[in-house]
Amino acid sequence: MSLLRITHLPSGRLLSAILHHQRLLPSIIPLTVPKRAVIQGEYKRPGQPRKAKFPWKKINFNFSKGLEGIKKHFTLLKKEFTDRWVGPEGKPIVEHMLEQNRAVWEFRGPESLGEWTVSSDREIGGHSEAYLKLGRNNNTCFLYGTLSSTPPRDGETRYSGYCTMRSKQPLASFDRKKHHDWSSFNTLHLRVRGDGRPWMINISAETYFSHQKDDIYCYFLYTRGGPYWQDVKIPFSKFFLTHRGRIQDDQHPVWLDKVNTIGFTLGDKADGPFQLEIDFIGVCKDYAHTEEFAYEAYKRNPEV
Amino acid sequence: MKGSRCLHQLKSLRLLSHAGRLLPPAAGDNGALFRPRSSSQLGGLQCAQREVLRHFHSSPACTKGQPARFVQEEDKTRDKSLVTHDDLFEQVAKEAKTKATFNKVIDVYTKGDIRRRGHVEFIYAALKKMPEFGVEKDLTVYNKLLDVFPKEVFVPRNFIQRMFNHYPRQQECGVQVLEQMENYGIMPNIETKVLLVQIFGEKTHPMRKYQRIMYWFPKFKHVNPFPIPEQLPEDPVDLARFSLTRMANDWDAKVTVYQLPCTDVTESGAEVTLPHIVGIQSPGQMEALAKHNPDRPVFVEGPFPLWMRKTCVYYYVLRADPTPPEEKIEEPYDPERCLSYPLQLDLDLDRDLGDDESFDVEDLDEGPVFAMCMTSQGDQATLNQWISGLQESNPILGQIPTLFRLGAGPRELQGVGDADSASRSWFPSHVQREEAHPGEEAEAVVEEAEAVVEEAEAVVEEEPRRSQGVKQ
Repeated sequence: MSLLRITHLPSGRLLSAILHHQRLLPSIIPLTVPKRAVIQGEYKRPGQPRKAKFPWKKINFNFSKGLEGIKKHFTLLKKEFTDRWVGPEGKPIVEHMLEQNRAVWEFRGPESLGEWTVSSDREIGGHSEAYLKLGRNNNTCFLYGTLSSTPPRDGETRYSGYCTMRSKQPLASFDRKKHHDWSSFNTLHLRVRGDGRPWMINISAETYFSHQKDDIYCYFLYTRGGPYWQDVKIPFSKFFLTHRGRIQDDQHPVWLDKVNTIGFTLGDKADGPFQLEIDFIGVCKDYAHTEEFAYEAYKRNPEV
Repeated sequence: MKGSRCLHQLKSLRLLSHAGRLLPPAAGDNGALFRPRSSSQLGGLQCAQREVLRHFHSSPACTKGQPARFVQEEDKTRDKSLVTHDDLFEQVAKEAKTKATFNKVIDVYTKGDIRRRGHVEFIYAALKKMPEFGVEKDLTVYNKLLDVFPKEVFVPRNFIQRMFNHYPRQQECGVQVLEQMENYGIMPNIETKVLLVQIFGEKTHPMRKYQRIMYWFPKFKHVNPFPIPEQLPEDPVDLARFSLTRMANDWDAKVTVYQLPCTDVTESGAEVTLPHIVGIQSPGQMEALAKHNPDRPVFVEGPFPLWMRKTCVYYYVLRADPTPPEEKIEEPYDPERCLSYPLQLDLDLDRDLGDDESFDVEDLDEGPVFAMCMTSQGDQATLNQWISGLQESNPILGQIPTLFRLGAGPRELQGVGDADSASRSWFPSHVQREEAHPGEEAEAVVEEAEAVVEEAEAVVEEEPRRSQGVKQ
């Protein structure tokens, strides 16, 4: 199955005892398992020098931007204070309790594109491209580009060719992290129009330990292709847990009370142009769906 | 199952083999250490039968059954120069690159040295060469490759060995073989399991990887709601038919082949290739087109890509802009259309308080799609042919102005890598238009040319910089 093939990242589950790097002949796949840091930090692209930037140099002193920032944050703060009087999350409590559908992302204007980050394997030196723009009539978002699965020549990366669109973490006033609370819903509802390629939906939830930072809950999004819109409903019980592109043994259902981001990834090893048009992304409560989790609980030492 | 019986026999025999291995390799012993003891008992397994009894001290050249062309390799090894395992494959690659030659290389290697020196490097080289030989989707080849590992040497014998990642390089190599199988979506079979148990033992990394594959692959095998067969039809007309029915999503839709691909030789001797034109239209679309207002134009848009596994085909769409709300007439259902059940019910089905299953999102009305077609050559002439073919079943097309909004051709799409790629798009809002060729062909369709052009430009709100191809 085509999960993200980023195997240049250390596969920590294997071979922690390997500390020597055998200099094999160049035609053979080299097996370099780098030393694992105690705390998994940011991904460092292989070959990039570690830039030591002093912390005070990272602050940008710009007066007009500062004023804008102050205005924005204080408006958000005021909204937070006044929203509490209306009800939880700014909605009246009756509406909050009886809510069955919520359109979380609707692409109805250029500012909606600012909530999304698009990236491709260009960051690790690959040749894919991905762009995001508004679709026809400014009513949809249109993700398009080209995939190229030639791996970058850095000696470490073996597979490549992916592109992804990920929503930005919602922020409260003063850039505090806010989470989506989807605990009263159980299905993800999308309206998409693809070109027949299989995509993957990634949901990232808030975690506690730093090792869980790259924990993503994934499921497949198969597009039919064609000029008609496709309604896709995926219950949250179907999402399986992966870490850095590898499906994990210890599976559990996604906790919906603190969802950070949602993303779409394409990595189907077919070189060429792709496109995906999304009308809206919403969550809904399907009373007919009673499954809690689609995969079995983990057995520590399964017999062969 | 025969395989599981093999496993049981293996477990019981391993206890015997432990006693056997303590004997030192005697001169007369035919290297039987590296032959699985259970080979005689597991007659059904492929792997066991190909082991060759070799004398410990005899030279490899004396072995019977080796083809003459590999003698040059023996000279090379006697030269004692460094020869990579890739060279073995490359030598064979000068002839045909088939499964048979690949298997032959593996056989040469396995028979070359009883100790299988450098088997890890050999297996990595073989994994890399598999796509070139075209055997990457063949399970028997993977099993044969796993068979290259010497058996029972890497099996941990006590808890300390089990704890400390016994023979890590070989385990990683085994995992990489399984990972390549997983990449190509090949499900391993019981023979793989038996091989892994023989080579690595249970509760080792390759075995765990095998268990993971066997758990997750069946779960995700049928998860595609629009499955595509492994082998797509080769014939372009059949492929077009399959993909159009896939997109149309309507059992009643009818596929019509307007033109079959053929190569004609004209009088001047020039070869003219006629592309295939396959179209699809459902009865609902025919009705909608019949009710379409002739004042409003219809558009032929394309080409849009459709991917099926690794093949990309392009299709064109005949559609119209959505009718403005004031022109929408809601026709009541004709009760005589369906006599078995009423098409319209006036029941007051009040749902529960707060029970609302629809999203609060404005409905995107992009206009009706009237027909779709696929052709290998997407120029205006071919699409004109399609429209004239459609006209036979939809006579109203004769009065409706048809505008062509064609994007960049499929060939240009492959070369997306320049700076302009950001400005290219499949949808007509940013598309590069073809120039209008007025009067290039005399069509059978009769239309009022100028009046139509004026109407079209007034009616269709488009930016004036775009040129429109008007069917004359």
